[in-house]
Amino acid sequence: MSTGNIKTTNVSRPYTWKERLYLLTIPKGFLVTLRYFIRGFFLRKSNTISYPEERRNYSERFRGMHFISLDENKLENCTACYLCQTVCPAKCITITAEERDPKENPVGVAKEKRPKAFDIDALRCCFCGMCEEACPKDAIKMSRNYELAVHTREMAMYDLKHLSREVKNRG
Amino acid sequence: MDLSNTDTTKTKTKAPQQITIDGQSLSFTPGETIMQVAERAGISKRIAHFCYHPSLSIAGTCRMCAVEVEKVAKLMTSCSTPATNGMVVYTNSEKVKASRNGVMEFLLANHPLDCPVCDQAGECSLQEYNYEYGPSTSRFGDSEEKRVFENATTLKLSPLITLNMNRCIHCERCVRFCAEITETHELLMVNRGHHKELTLADPSKGLTSDYQGCLADVCPVGALTFNDFRFKKRVWFLKQHPSICDGCSRGCNIEVHSEDDIVYRYTPRFNQEINKHWMCDEGRLSYHRGHDKNRIVAPYFEGHECEWHTLLADFTKSLKSSKSALVVFTTDATSEEVATLTSLLPQLHKGGPINFRYISSTPDENPNENQDENQDQLLRRKDKTPNRQGVASKLSPISEADFQSFNDLVIIFKGSTSKLPRLAFSSSKHLYLWGVFLLEDLENIRASNPNIRGVLPGVHTLEKSGSYTNCDGITQTFTAAIRPPKLCVPVERILSKILTTVTAEGEAK
Repeated sequence: MSTGNIKTTNVSRPYTWKERLYLLTIPKGFLVTLRYFIRGFFLRKSNTISYPEERRNYSERFRGMHFISLDENKLENCTACYLCQTVCPAKCITITAEERDPKENPVGVAKEKRPKAFDIDALRCCFCGMCEEACPKDAIKMSRNYELAVHTREMAMYDLKHLSREVKNRG
Repeated sequence: MDLSNTDTTKTKTKAPQQITIDGQSLSFTPGETIMQVAERAGISKRIAHFCYHPSLSIAGTCRMCAVEVEKVAKLMTSCSTPATNGMVVYTNSEKVKASRNGVMEFLLANHPLDCPVCDQAGECSLQEYNYEYGPSTSRFGDSEEKRVFENATTLKLSPLITLNMNRCIHCERCVRFCAEITETHELLMVNRGHHKELTLADPSKGLTSDYQGCLADVCPVGALTFNDFRFKKRVWFLKQHPSICDGCSRGCNIEVHSEDDIVYRYTPRFNQEINKHWMCDEGRLSYHRGHDKNRIVAPYFEGHECEWHTLLADFTKSLKSSKSALVVFTTDATSEEVATLTSLLPQLHKGGPINFRYISSTPDENPNENQDENQDQLLRRKDKTPNRQGVASKLSPISEADFQSFNDLVIIFKGSTSKLPRLAFSSSKHLYLWGVFLLEDLENIRASNPNIRGVLPGVHTLEKSGSYTNCDGITQTFTAAIRPPKLCVPVERILSKILTTVTAEGEAK
């Protein structure tokens, strides 16, 4: 692709005489500082919050850290159908399926297949929520937990144990 | 029907008989059904069907293939209605679509909604047709009310096949397969209507035929699934590649299903001359041998792994310095490999002509087994190597006495993953193994000859291209389905490397 035909136009305009007279803008700036000083110091109004003691309330449909929902028997709802892995645009989900041990399966044929491994690479995830939308079992969900910071890259690889933690009301 | 019948008699001796399907005029031979004519013309995809299978008898149980025939009041099942002269068929009219919708609605009334668990999902006729013709909602209420066969939800009919009767749509393809193809009559349908159920003829024995994998293939839904593939992979991830099965001398046409160079299954590919729609379980499971953990995948020189150039330098030196040389091919080498080696190796060997022989790869524990003949009435052969005819047409076989007489340089070339035959050496000084070997093979060879100098790791059938000549003399070519392990290289690359080095050395002198 050649960029030879692209022209750049200078859109800056000449300063007016008021703007050139910097003396006027200096007291203007001081006034802004003074206003915020009074708001903060005397009226105790603030634009920031004291995280982590205070937290912002995000929207109900905020998409945060993934989890896999559990049923009443504490079995993960996931049946390893691979639909989330198929739909994921970032290719960050890796599933391995296996047959559930019939002894630990009170539900029968509906849960005969289970994920042996379910890994999400949170560093690669773009939090689009398509996995949640594709899931036919409402198994994979995104909680409202936005505290995703970790110490090592390995900790950002969510495995099945981490994903099937109990999350009430999407956190 | 009467009208068309008289037409047939009139035009018997005249021009070929014509049938019109969706405005397309097609000729046919009397006796063919509408479906068969459509299939020959390559438009059978337009006619939805469950129970019809080109290699099985016609049952007409599913009613899905009903088409509209002009001048006939009702819809006709295209699988069982014979084509007649001047017949005008519509496969996609509103009436036909409504009929398909109705059939689908009844089939889905009791079909469990477990596509996420079902292995057939992605290649399921029921799924496809429901997407195309079926109702998107059900008028039959909640899924809790669906029919459940308590005893046959996950019933292992054999170590290879699992039955989930809830998913069955009663097309009876499996029953017909057992009755007509394997002639074992192992499956049958009992009861009627709502209670119709697939059962084993003898539950104490289970399925015993050698073609059980085909049951999972013919089943249009996920009622019969193949245990080896069960829950391994969803089918839409798999890459299909046409290939040839190297499990025996039949040379069945197969499709290799793989993802990221890992093979997950073989499925048969239609070839009227050789295997039709079928393949045996032994061949179907033979893909495991290619992924054997004990396969030697790195060059090996005097008991250690080494770099390719070290091994090749030594190999070239031995070739040049040896007085007599013997190259033994096993019968799973491709004809191309035989041709390449027989034409190029003599250029490197200075000490006289090289003897090229072949040895049958079939393990001769039982000498009588070593003959190639049919193992059953269908496909399996006793010779478990794919290219005996191709190799034997170019080379002569080796006997034990021959083995004893060569004691300088011996090269064993093994083309694929079939079992190593018993080799009887006396004391060849330099023994090179070339091709696909397992650690066990090395142990076995070491028992009779400890002088294994080097192993040149090669590629097996799925990793190379070439041709095999099957037991009936049909030569079939194939191309690589997957990439070989990093250090396994095909014959032509090794030879070209050796030849360029030798030429360069010659020029330097």
